[in-house]
Amino acid sequence: METAEILARCKNGDQEAWNMMINSYSKSVYNIALNFFAERDIAQDVTQEIFIKIYHNLDKFREEKNFSSWIFTISRNYCIDYWRKNKKYFAHTQELDEKISVGKPTPEENLINESEIDQLRKMISRLDPDLRLILILRDIQDLSYQEIAKKFSVPEGTVKSRINRARLKLAQAFMREGI
Amino acid sequence: MNKKCREIESLLSAYLENDLPKEELESVSEHLQGCSVCLDKKEKMEEIILRLSELQEEVPFFLKNRLLNIPEMIEKTKPVKLLYFPKWLAAAIGTIILFLNLFYFTNIFPPVHREVHSVVSSIEKIFVKTGGWFEKIKESKELLFFTFFNRKSVEVKENKVSQNLANEKDFVKGGRNG
Repeated sequence: METAEILARCKNGDQEAWNMMINSYSKSVYNIALNFFAERDIAQDVTQEIFIKIYHNLDKFREEKNFSSWIFTISRNYCIDYWRKNKKYFAHTQELDEKISVGKPTPEENLINESEIDQLRKMISRLDPDLRLILILRDIQDLSYQEIAKKFSVPEGTVKSRINRARLKLAQAFMREGI
Repeated sequence: MNKKCREIESLLSAYLENDLPKEELESVSEHLQGCSVCLDKKEKMEEIILRLSELQEEVPFFLKNRLLNIPEMIEKTKPVKLLYFPKWLAAAIGTIILFLNLFYFTNIFPPVHREVHSVVSSIEKIFVKTGGWFEKIKESKELLFFTFFNRKSVEVKENKVSQNLANEKDFVKGGRNG
C-alpha cells in the first residue's frame, strides 16, 4: 500500500492503515526521542504525544510534501518545545563545550553503574538541540547528508560541518572524562 | 592548539568518511602522523561513530500498543453530547429570565415596572377576594350545619333551662309561703 493510500485510509479512521503507519514510523520517532532526551520514560511519553499530534493533523498534511519529512518536522518541533518547556528539569544537560566539564559521576551514579550506551546518550543529550538531532539522524538512523539537508532545509555543507562539530564535541568530552 | 590543528579538526569527519579530495586527504594523513592530539581526537571520533550506530532500539511492546490504540483512545475521550440542546436556545431562555428580573425587581424601566407591578397586585387582589369568599362560604357552611344538625340539642338545652327557671320560681314561692 502506498503512503497516500495509507494516509487517506487513516483519515477515514481505518485502524489497519493506522497500524501500518505505526509499524513504519514508530521506530524512527522513538529513537529520535530516546536519544534526544536520554530518558526512556520521557521518550515514550514524547513518542505517544507526537503520534497523537500526527493523528490530529493528518488533514493538514499536503500530499506534495514528503510524509517522512513531515513526521520528522513534527517530531523535531515537539522535542525542542518539550525540552524548552522543561529546561529546569534538564538543567543538568548543559551544553558540551571546553569550559564546562561533564563532571565526575556522583556516588549514586556509580551505584547505578549505567551502561556505556546510557553514558553516550547522556553526552548526546548535552549537545545543542539542532546538533543533537542532526547527529541522531546521521549516525544513529543512518540518513544521508542529502536527506538531512532536505529535512532541515539547509545546505548539505552546513549539515556536514554541524555533524563534524557534534562528533568533535562528543570526542573531546569523552577524552576529558577519560571514558 | 595551532592553526593547522584547527584546520584538521574541521576536516576529521570528511577524512573518516573518505569524502576529501586526494590532496587534502594526504595532507590530513601527514598531519595525523606527527600530531598525537589530533590523532587521539580522530581515533575517539571513529570509536564514537561506531558506538552511535548501536544506539538504535526497538520500540517497547507496551509503547507500541499505546500507539496502535491512539485512534480508539481519541474517539473515547471525545466529549459526548448527552442531550441535544441548542446553545442559542439556552442563551435565549437565560436572556428572557434576566430581562424579566430587570423589569420586576429593578427600576431600570419604570413604566414597564409599574405595569408589571399593577398586574401582580391585581392578581394578589383576586387571590384576597377569592380567599374572602372562601372564608364566607366556610362560615355559612358552619351556620348551616349548626342550624340543621344541632337543632335538637339546642331545643333540649332550651327546655332544660326553662325547667330550671320554673323550679327556681317554685322554690322561691314555697319559701315565702312556708
